[in-house]
Amino acid sequence: MLTRIFSAIRNTLSREFRRMVSRPIYLIGIVLVMVFCFVFFLTFFNEGQPNKMPIAIVDKDNSALSRQFARNLNCTQQADIVMNVATHTEARQEMQKGNIYAFVEIDKGFAREVLSNRRPTLKFYVNNGYLIAGSLLLKDISYMSALTSGAVQRQVLRAKGVEENRIMGIIQPIVLDTHQVGNPWANYGIYLLNVLLPGVLQLMILLMTVFAIGVEFKERTAHNWLENAGNSVFAAVTGKLLPYTIIFTLMGIISNILLYRLMQYPMNSSIWWMFLTTFLYVLAYQAVGVLFIGITPVLRDAVTLTAFYGLLGFTFAGFTFPIEQLPSMSRIFSDLFPIRHYFNIYVNQALHGTAVQLSVISFVALLAFNILPLFVYHRLKNAAILQNYPVN
Amino acid sequence: MSPLQKWISIAKDIIAIYRNEFKVVFSDRGVVIIFIIASLVYPALYCGLYRNETLVNTPIAVVDNSATAQSRKLLRQIDATPDVAIAMHCTSMDEAQKAFDSRKVHGIVNIPADFDKKLQKNEQATVSIYCDMSSFLYYRALLQACNYSVLDMGKEIQVQRLNAQGITGESAEAVLEPVPFQGIGLYNGGMGFASFLMPAILMLIIHQTLFFGISMLAGTSREENRFHVLVSSKLHRGGTLRVILAKAACYLTMYLIFSYYILVLVPQLFNLPHIGLSVDIFKMLIPFLLATIFFSMTVSVFFPNRETGMILFLFFSLILLFLSGISWPQSNINGFWKVFSWMFPAIHGIQAYIKINTMGGTLHTIRYEYLNLWIQTGIYLMTTVIVYRWQIRKSSDKKSILNETSMLK
Repeated sequence: MLTRIFSAIRNTLSREFRRMVSRPIYLIGIVLVMVFCFVFFLTFFNEGQPNKMPIAIVDKDNSALSRQFARNLNCTQQADIVMNVATHTEARQEMQKGNIYAFVEIDKGFAREVLSNRRPTLKFYVNNGYLIAGSLLLKDISYMSALTSGAVQRQVLRAKGVEENRIMGIIQPIVLDTHQVGNPWANYGIYLLNVLLPGVLQLMILLMTVFAIGVEFKERTAHNWLENAGNSVFAAVTGKLLPYTIIFTLMGIISNILLYRLMQYPMNSSIWWMFLTTFLYVLAYQAVGVLFIGITPVLRDAVTLTAFYGLLGFTFAGFTFPIEQLPSMSRIFSDLFPIRHYFNIYVNQALHGTAVQLSVISFVALLAFNILPLFVYHRLKNAAILQNYPVN
Repeated sequence: MSPLQKWISIAKDIIAIYRNEFKVVFSDRGVVIIFIIASLVYPALYCGLYRNETLVNTPIAVVDNSATAQSRKLLRQIDATPDVAIAMHCTSMDEAQKAFDSRKVHGIVNIPADFDKKLQKNEQATVSIYCDMSSFLYYRALLQACNYSVLDMGKEIQVQRLNAQGITGESAEAVLEPVPFQGIGLYNGGMGFASFLMPAILMLIIHQTLFFGISMLAGTSREENRFHVLVSSKLHRGGTLRVILAKAACYLTMYLIFSYYILVLVPQLFNLPHIGLSVDIFKMLIPFLLATIFFSMTVSVFFPNRETGMILFLFFSLILLFLSGISWPQSNINGFWKVFSWMFPAIHGIQAYIKINTMGGTLHTIRYEYLNLWIQTGIYLMTTVIVYRWQIRKSSDKKSILNETSMLK
């Protein structure tokens, strides 16, 4: 019995290998897309944070103080003053054109008012339409303004004869000491790539699983596929998907190595946990793929369904917008996406470095996806025997 | 044939192919799902999912080692911000970290034992916060709440300390804040997530559904090997352009209607920014849609099957989103990827739409994108003509070979 299944799997395997080299779609879908994404994403975020973003200054005062402020601002990590414009309107138009992401407006008489204690307001505008640029510049320019304010305060306090050791206590009575756990640089690459790369991987696993099986129905070769596997659906599916399991797991592990070794992204426990997770992740998505092609053994419908599900994975991973803050119904759905469980394990093992016990439930969930193909066992078998589904 | 008659016959051809293309589209369930269902469902679905815009009452843990009136007051202030809510009062950092590790809380505020003592002694006191970096929105919520509360309490203490130094009234105010500053966030006042991301997604939906729909149509005709019937026998010469224009007009008609829903109605329904003029949006849409259509028609010729386009290029939606410069600013996209991004109408389209719709720009504002979209339209029209001619020649060669072989038999 067992030997028969083994030989059936072996037969299917060699049949699948022949199919895989017969068309370019296999090579592109399994390997080249991932390689492209490795190159793209790793070079795209290599700065970590967007630095030196273009901003403008509307310096109507043109005093030593305002110029000093502009010079200081230009030295910050995020801002780069690329233009000096005369009016607010002009600056706003440059902002709308996307040439600058923020501008500072210094009114006429600024320096004079500072010196005579009349407290002129320093106004600056950031473009929150581009949220990342906007919020980073908001932080950056606020910081520089606070420093400017602090410098003036210090001078005034000294002039008033306040003792040196009391000055800081007056300028800033409470200091906030911020710890960014696991990602102290607030690096966007770390934040995004740990989910985006597995995200692309799941898209390709889903689509290629559906394609590898679906194309048999479409081209009316499903009967032959099943026959070749000794009429065992188990052997037919296993033999067919095994090469993909191996290659996709390999791609996933390469991705882990690139992130945690080459890029030195945080890995606060053993990298082997992520290797294991990647393997379970590949299996889980293959199982979902089998479920979809089983539900509708029409290739084009299954591809559309899969695309829909795969793209939603990016939302339901919950890394950009946390799941618990999505509308209540959608929270339940997130558990139906293996990428959600992958994300949980990544946060626990790589980012926070917690005890592995906390991730057990996510490991179990990933394993549980492997039950899904059982639901479509008979449908697949009937579809393969009867080949009664429309081709197009 | 007089010139007039010739033009009439051309117009007739175009109308015939135009009407036929509608039939082709609507008789293909797969294409209908992509063109119509996807463009209807995706915008509403994503807007619905992200409708909360920002995080509210993110649970955090606090460790109050000081346990004084002052420290409790600070915690009350933090708790009162909309961003975070104190979910746990812990007696030690260990306990708080346990809650953090099991992700019951997404941040910790730790007030040291000497907090109040230092404040009494006119020294600087420190408050430590620990942010969950798994989502930057958690980080922003905690940082925002604590920054605000600490500054607020700091102001009161500053006044007391200045008074103690004999600096009071007006002059205390002047010392307190010699240069008040005001940061104003434009175009997305609430720093909402949907307001920032959704406009880009909406344009991407148009770009991608058009691309996948057209590649599915092309893949199908290739599978059924009926590229040769694209041009009926009577308009063999110069007919390619007619076919291409008529088909493009069909997709353009459909998508002008869908775009009204996607780009005008959806932002209103879901309260996304919509301060631009619809007229400007539609003026920009014409070159955007045409460029996308011709781009898709050119690329689609290379897909051998119906599904190939979607399988191999679904992931590209993500790449386009990042290349568009909506999240990672365009100024910081490195040279190679920037040049690479010029190939895709989506990039200019997304920027143009955001500049009009979100930032209230006009056609003048988006002159750069508008010009580029027309240039893309021109280039991709030419490439479409070239690849269509090539395809038609190839399939008619095949046909003549078939004819010859059948004759030989």
